[in-house]
Amino acid sequence: MKKLLVLSIALASCSPAYAAETSITGNVQTRCLITTDTNGVFGNPLPSKLSTASADGGVVPVVRYDVTLADSYLAKVTTPTSFSSSPALADAVTWTGSTTVTKTTDAGMAAYETGKITYGSTTQYDLTIAGSTWFSSEATAVYGGTKSFPGGSYTAIVLAECIAK
Amino acid sequence: MITLSTPVYSHEMTPTYPTFSKSFMDGISVATLNIFNKRMDVSYYEIGVFTDEWEPVPFVSQYTVIPMKYLDTVSFDVYVTNRSLDSVEYICSVSQVQYGSTVTSKICSRVK
Repeated sequence: MKKLLVLSIALASCSPAYAAETSITGNVQTRCLITTDTNGVFGNPLPSKLSTASADGGVVPVVRYDVTLADSYLAKVTTPTSFSSSPALADAVTWTGSTTVTKTTDAGMAAYETGKITYGSTTQYDLTIAGSTWFSSEATAVYGGTKSFPGGSYTAIVLAECIAK
Repeated sequence: MITLSTPVYSHEMTPTYPTFSKSFMDGISVATLNIFNKRMDVSYYEIGVFTDEWEPVPFVSQYTVIPMKYLDTVSFDVYVTNRSLDSVEYICSVSQVQYGSTVTSKICSRVK
């Protein structure tokens, strides 16, 4: 009798299991996302030189690429070859720049750096693995050999491209 | 000390591989794409259509330069004539540099 009572209480305390279907929908599609991870800043180590290198007091800009499908995109990062805004410059500015992979979410992406193709100021990477890759671009501008840059604000543009293959 | 770039967020365009279909007009095909603007420093994206040699292909869209607010998603149609359809390889969106914006992002979808 005691067992029956316990069983009855146990059954009564059980809630009926109603099956209800709640759907969660989502859409995953191939995509490329370009994000600036770190803002670049020119340092001015010499009167005639502006540089993003940390040794020169600058900050290297970092752009992150997120791709959701392997082997679908090319990343192209182009360092500046002119100022987008600056004081009037009477002499030529010589630009140098380079882009490197500085961080990845997959160990296999280490091959990106060895497989990169550089032409002019553009560096191209084949994004063969899904995930995130951080690219750092150093840029240096030297004014008229040894002339001093005029005082004022200088801005230059980094171009980050993600091209579907 | 001079700024090279300012705070920049994300730029995204989908689909990666858009397809053209018949439009409401004879001889004109249309593809629909979406841009997501997560860049606070960008309010405009320019659309371009190109061949595999990066030659521009004539096209029509609601806007050639699309005004976008931060965190907006905009869907846009690209119309091309059937005659030039075979030459279309890339549809690209390029962020338009504004004051204080110093990284240009460009994403290109490919028509396969």
